[in-house]
Amino acid sequence: MSLLPSCRDVSRLLSEARDSGRPLGMSARIHLSICDVCRRVLAQFEILGRAVKRAPDAGASLSNEAKDRLRRALRP
Amino acid sequence: MTDPSGWVDAYGDRLFRYALSRIRDERACEDLIQETLLAAFKSQDKFKGESAELTWMIGILRNKIFEHLRRQAREVPLSREEEDDDREEASFDGRHWTAEAAPRDWGGDPRRKAETDEFSAVLRGCLEALTPNVARAFVLREMEGVGHLECAEAMGVPPGRLAVLLYRARMRLRRCLERGYFAPEPA
Repeated sequence: MSLLPSCRDVSRLLSEARDSGRPLGMSARIHLSICDVCRRVLAQFEILGRAVKRAPDAGASLSNEAKDRLRRALRP
Repeated sequence: MTDPSGWVDAYGDRLFRYALSRIRDERACEDLIQETLLAAFKSQDKFKGESAELTWMIGILRNKIFEHLRRQAREVPLSREEEDDDREEASFDGRHWTAEAAPRDWGGDPRRKAETDEFSAVLRGCLEALTPNVARAFVLREMEGVGHLECAEAMGVPPGRLAVLLYRARMRLRRCLERGYFAPEPA
């Protein structure tokens, strides 16, 4: 039986560490040092967390009807 | 402060896109923008000019989004189906990732690739594919940066349950973005 956590455990620990702000334990860090795939998960969770905070600059826009309704609501 | 009669044209679309990237319902987004603009209108005297007008309005909109998601999470608690849906287990075969589910290399410079409008569109599709409470938890925690405990309180779940929802969200979004954007299956 391995003393190191499994890939399943490490994927959960990586997610929990993002929320708790606490560093990963030693056994999870050792797992990461020898597991390329779980290192990818660590990097991808970080990219995901960063990327989603950006508000999109293009794409959807308010309908003309909605804009008219908003203009009416803002009239003094 | 600019004339409020020009706010809809100046800021309406950008506020709408911000809301729509976090809330699926266009009509609800329009209502939140109306509430935001009215709140800004009524509190113009509080605007100190320390930030851009749009930044100030997005701050108001973020509070409206938080309250909206909080209300929704309370009105529609976790369904049994959502509670039991632990499809992440299928990604593992014993201790390791299965060959099919193992995360792929996202290539080149994924941070840069995540700055495109195409990425935003794929992300929106991936968020829409999440179950409602998994999506709400992710929006509050990762997109809006609400603290873990405050997020659990807003969702009406214990912190341990929130951790499960966030794990599901990250794993499903990671996979969806990989398949749909970063490393699609070769044609």
